[in-house]
Amino acid sequence: MNDRNKIIYTLILLINITPYLYVFYNFKKINFNIDGIIGFYPIFGFLACISLIIIAKILAVVLKKGDTYYD
Amino acid sequence: MISSLISHPAFPLAIGSLFIFIFKEKANLISIGSILISLFVLLFITDNIDYVYKSGLASLNYFSYSKLAYLFCLVFLIMGLIGKLFSIYRDSYKEKAMVLIYISSAIFVLFSGDFLTLYIFWEIMAIASTMVIWSSNSDKSLSAGNRYLLMHLLGGLILLLGIIGLYIDTNNLQIRLLNLDTWYNWMILVGFLLNAGAPPFSQWIPDAYPEGSYSSTVFLSAYTTKTSVFILIVTFAGSHILMLIGIYMIMYGIIYALLENDIRRILSYSIVNQVGFMIVGIGIGTELSLNGTAAHAFSHIIYKGLLLMSAGSVIYMINKYKCTDVGGLYKTMPLTAICGIIGALAISAFPLTSGFISKSMIVDASIHEGMQLVWLMLLVGSAGVFLHAGIKFPWFVFFHRDKKIITTDPPIYMKYAMIIASTICIVIGIWPQLLYGLLPYPVDFIPYTGNHVVSQLHLLFFSALAFFISLKYLERTLTLTLDIDWLYRGKIKYIKLLTKYIFSMINKTENIFSFTSLRNKFTTLEDYLLRQTTISAMLILILIIFSVSLIMNIS
Repeated sequence: MNDRNKIIYTLILLINITPYLYVFYNFKKINFNIDGIIGFYPIFGFLACISLIIIAKILAVVLKKGDTYYD
Repeated sequence: MISSLISHPAFPLAIGSLFIFIFKEKANLISIGSILISLFVLLFITDNIDYVYKSGLASLNYFSYSKLAYLFCLVFLIMGLIGKLFSIYRDSYKEKAMVLIYISSAIFVLFSGDFLTLYIFWEIMAIASTMVIWSSNSDKSLSAGNRYLLMHLLGGLILLLGIIGLYIDTNNLQIRLLNLDTWYNWMILVGFLLNAGAPPFSQWIPDAYPEGSYSSTVFLSAYTTKTSVFILIVTFAGSHILMLIGIYMIMYGIIYALLENDIRRILSYSIVNQVGFMIVGIGIGTELSLNGTAAHAFSHIIYKGLLLMSAGSVIYMINKYKCTDVGGLYKTMPLTAICGIIGALAISAFPLTSGFISKSMIVDASIHEGMQLVWLMLLVGSAGVFLHAGIKFPWFVFFHRDKKIITTDPPIYMKYAMIIASTICIVIGIWPQLLYGLLPYPVDFIPYTGNHVVSQLHLLFFSALAFFISLKYLERTLTLTLDIDWLYRGKIKYIKLLTKYIFSMINKTENIFSFTSLRNKFTTLEDYLLRQTTISAMLILILIIFSVSLIMNIS
């Protein structure tokens, strides 16, 4: 099994575990209304990361220079 | 005087550094021995003691106990011990002596009772850490150290102006909680924040730290920024502007680390990110958040040291600094990989590691204060940490493309150092009471609730998903990223002309004072400092005068 497949299987496993973790989650002890929504943390985390990567990529257009820029 | 110095935990380190210059071959033994003595002294510290040194001009309160200072001192010494174990194979007695001075001055800052004492050791710390950067003896470290020193001397000057203003206005230099209502308090805040790596000058951390040797970066990451966090807790807890600054630092660290290629530079950006969490905690300013900040500083020092040690081991063994040059090292360096992964899990606050039990305190404090926006930003930060340090660092170094590099794990003491640090990360994560007992305020916080663990795991799993989905776009390239230092390093015509003009003026003044032998044609700021020996000579002179006057006044 090569590395790529290993990653894919691990990711599938992780995504499938996620819903079952709600067994331990107490919906009466939520902090703000927003984290009472099922799937809030996974979706928020995913979107946050994707948007961070997009922002970084946009900034890279202006800010990335060759390795020897200052030399 | 003498007896009070002996019972100061920073004093054995200062003496130890002198001994290293005399007995060069025994540098390792002396460093480890003096840190052990310091730990021993720390055990016997009793509270409610103030040591004040009085001379004709001023009184310096160089030891004033607080529970917070005790906690920081403890973790400084633990990290010093682990780092010294790690750097046993480093063949440079100067670096070892300078590291001891650096740790010693950082501890003196922790126990300072007034702003003047703090300022003196603040500056010694800046100079000693510059020496530590310079000790790697490369051209790059020389110029990076110069930029670092300039930045810190500038911060020190701003701090000094603030302290002078405070003294003129209130005639009281005791370290206490300050309000942001006067100009001098703002200047003190700016002086402290500059050392914490706050915007717009966050850039000095990833610029200077990775230029140290493989061992010195471990020390550099621990002391300067965390002393600054300590003093901000004491002086500016609850200033809400700090929350904004902290959130900016969190995002800055993540975004720049995503674009970075140098292994240690990625980790340096994540120092900015982690200190950002602490600054947010200070800004919230409740007992829970300040406890969380102190706890996070404790665990951060250990796991960041661990991460930099595993990066240092890679550099020590194969002498490669860039993500594009390494890969697939888990086969040849299994122990380094495991320790690196434990550090990476701890920094991303995975349950059962030290990061989880400390960061969740800061996040919970924002919830208790009803700050929904701050809370959401901290969540983005938590997800982003996993992205840039938790997965990116181990993935590109130990996995990814196997570059078929033939090597082994590092020598035995380096392994021991990494194992000890990973053990601390996990032990604190499993038994948080060990750390909670040391915190400044009483702790009424349970980290392992179902909601904490589930929400954190959900965040982390899906950050991992986001990472691997966009792996194609995170592929490292041989590039660097521009930052604020472009202003003084870059190739802008007008700034170059301006520096040329300024230095021609300086040359003229030197002519008047007939320093003709020192006259050279300087073109840039760096160039000037590199060739300018007078500045460094002056600094050493000030230190000597200061120490002589101290010794002469002992009675």
